[in-house]
Amino acid sequence: MTNLYIGSIAIIGTVILYILSAKIHDRFAKPYTIPVLTSTVCIVIILLISDIPYAAYMTGGRWINEFLGPAVVALAYPLYMQRHTIIKLLIPILSGIIAGAVIGVLSGVFLAKWTGFSDEIIATISTKSVTTPVSMAITESIGGIRPLAAILVIIAGISGAVLNDLLFKLFKIHHYIAKGIALGSASHAIGTATSMEKSLIQGSVSSIAMVISAITVSIITPGIITFLV
Amino acid sequence: MLTFYKIVFQIVILYLFFLLGEWIQQSLHLFIPGSVIGMIILFLLLLLNVVKLSWIDLGSKFIIRHLALLFIPVTVGVIEYLNLFKGDGLILVFIVIISTLLVMISSGLLSQWLVQRKEIKND
Repeated sequence: MTNLYIGSIAIIGTVILYILSAKIHDRFAKPYTIPVLTSTVCIVIILLISDIPYAAYMTGGRWINEFLGPAVVALAYPLYMQRHTIIKLLIPILSGIIAGAVIGVLSGVFLAKWTGFSDEIIATISTKSVTTPVSMAITESIGGIRPLAAILVIIAGISGAVLNDLLFKLFKIHHYIAKGIALGSASHAIGTATSMEKSLIQGSVSSIAMVISAITVSIITPGIITFLV
Repeated sequence: MLTFYKIVFQIVILYLFFLLGEWIQQSLHLFIPGSVIGMIILFLLLLLNVVKLSWIDLGSKFIIRHLALLFIPVTVGVIEYLNLFKGDGLILVFIVIISTLLVMISSGLLSQWLVQRKEIKND
């Protein structure tokens, strides 16, 4: 009974906080006001203060989470709408994604090795640019730590969503195709959601980047880890 | 009200594609997530005109517009790893952020350079 109660409150509360934070973001469109960040921080604080375990929150939260599957399927729609542009620019798109995937794995592995982290952690960090289910699968196959992989994936997602505008300005990345590729390659589905807010075409490119980089990382990572770690 | 039912019905269709993808993933032991397999199948069926755009357009637009909401429960999972944000863990967090930025810079700059080169050639 109490679980059902906490579960329903979790669903309703999450949706209300999301709507509120989206309204705040509309008013004050700053990188640090993106709804996924502000809502998450609010919920974490509420759970900590009221001493509710994450598992209890997730009795409701998992129903929201369940929609992620069909949401990824829905990305076929923008992909289909933008198919002509994408096919025309396929080579630049693929080159950018593959370069990003390789640099993502190598930079993660080198930096973690250089700062002296254990082999398990180095293996785990190599998968942080790709969407959670793929990251978990690769992590397991190369001897990493699965829950840590999930959290590093979230950090990669949120940091890309928060810092993309600043970074694009700094490095003069202004083409929507380039922005879409950058966000999808570095910040997977959270980056794709950020791209979708800018335009349908940027979002479509982002979803392609998310998928292709997931495939690329899963192919190259086992090799890189065996050679370098 | 009719639009509401259409959206709900179309999300059910999307969910069926997700289940199909999950089933394929599990039966063939693929490393690609079921949702991505479902997306690829739906995309191909749209191309082949087996699935009409009007069957999924409203539901897709609705669910994509609220994609950020769907991530919140997973990201709240950070609560289980708050000690990652102190001591050595903080270095790891910084490495992830730096590596993420490097991915964005390299993939963004390379693709922008190639796209612009192509656009200039075509003009």
